[in-house]
Amino acid sequence: MNQLFRIVVFVAVLVAGTISLKAADSSVKIQLDTNKSGPRAVESRTEQAIMRDYGTAWTMMARALEFNTIEPLEGSFVGAARTWLNDSVAGQQRAGLTSNYREQNHKLRVLFYAPEGDVIELRDTADFQLQIMDGAKVIYSEHVVRHYTVLMTPGADRWIVRQLQAHPEF
Amino acid sequence: MRRTLLGCAVVAMYLAELCSAQEVHVPALVSAGNETAISTTGSGKATLYLSGPGISSKTEINLGEKFILHSEDVRNAGEYVTIVCTDVCRSAVFHVRPSKPAYLTFLVHPSRVPVGQGDAVSGVALPFDEFHNLVLDRVKVSFQSTAGDLRILSQSVLTQDGVGWFRAASGKSAGKLQIVATVDSLSSVRAVQQVASDPCNLRTKAHRTPKGVDIETEPVRDCSGNLVPDGTIVTFSAAGPGGRNTVDAPIKQGIARAHIQTPGSLVISAASGTVMGNEVRLGEQP
Repeated sequence: MNQLFRIVVFVAVLVAGTISLKAADSSVKIQLDTNKSGPRAVESRTEQAIMRDYGTAWTMMARALEFNTIEPLEGSFVGAARTWLNDSVAGQQRAGLTSNYREQNHKLRVLFYAPEGDVIELRDTADFQLQIMDGAKVIYSEHVVRHYTVLMTPGADRWIVRQLQAHPEF
Repeated sequence: MRRTLLGCAVVAMYLAELCSAQEVHVPALVSAGNETAISTTGSGKATLYLSGPGISSKTEINLGEKFILHSEDVRNAGEYVTIVCTDVCRSAVFHVRPSKPAYLTFLVHPSRVPVGQGDAVSGVALPFDEFHNLVLDRVKVSFQSTAGDLRILSQSVLTQDGVGWFRAASGKSAGKLQIVATVDSLSSVRAVQQVASDPCNLRTKAHRTPKGVDIETEPVRDCSGNLVPDGTIVTFSAAGPGGRNTVDAPIKQGIARAHIQTPGSLVISAASGTVMGNEVRLGEQP
């Protein structure tokens, strides 16, 4: 009986996790404009890979900051971006805070694609619903528009965010 | 009437409370790593939250007093949300911008390049401040490349969106090409190994020995006179009455050598890449 209960709980957690994953993925909308990219042209498969991997990175970032765990960041972020996200999660854990990034829309534009294709710089005009919670209390809830400069580099099987830097305006 | 007055009084008290609630004043723009302060109005205790790149904190404060943000609190460029809560929460947003360049990331490709190739070498320089924020203000990057004492490239560009780059032809001589990117007093050095290009021509000589024919090339050079790298394959062919014999030989110290055991008169030729060498005719062994 106890065994059966454990199996039911395991399946329920699995299903809930899958539903939550789908919900989070579908809530990140990405558009990419490669018209003015240079000096290297962005091929269509690269374009698709960047949209996929940048979207995944934001999904993972949202999950890390919602559940206060750095595990989702593995594989999507490296370098400076990874360092500050780790610090943010640690800070939230200490302060008992969580952040929710909902209804994300990202309008990306390629600023620079290196001649050898080893780094791409993007400009992201992102808008999302940001909610910051202290325990169960909502202390901040706003629809936010942020402008990011993004550096991504190719990894073994995906593009990885190396720099994610917000600015007042462009 | 009395009810209306009471209602108005309640609304007025609520509005008065809202008006007297704390206000948050944040700096307009902060340079990364520079200490700054957040000020509040009102009196009494409150909770101040700071949420930004690399920081999430919660601190009990006294309203009306300045709250100092230390250098380490604002080291990452980006948007920071400050929230001050009593019964109600008020928020304000400020931005931290990158400081001046302190590091230079310099990517150069390729690591080995044949000489005399157009647009064969490229470099990308990205200036970062001491906190690893990408510096987006335009800065001048100088690129210089030298091969031995010879200056191959000298070019300055202004970064755009934090990136400066160049593309250039490779030099004429095999050897190390040193490329330096400089921003103010910062510099970063990379090396590219320039190797000989494809062989320009092949000269072959052959002589009979008791056991067959020894064939070797003269030193194989590209069109700029550089010795072709060791390991480049030369294919020797010997055509005779018994058919054609072919053997591949790698170049060692500029010369490729092979031995063919074919009797009778022979026509020997050599090829490497798209280059064909001379033909050597050997008569029948006496």
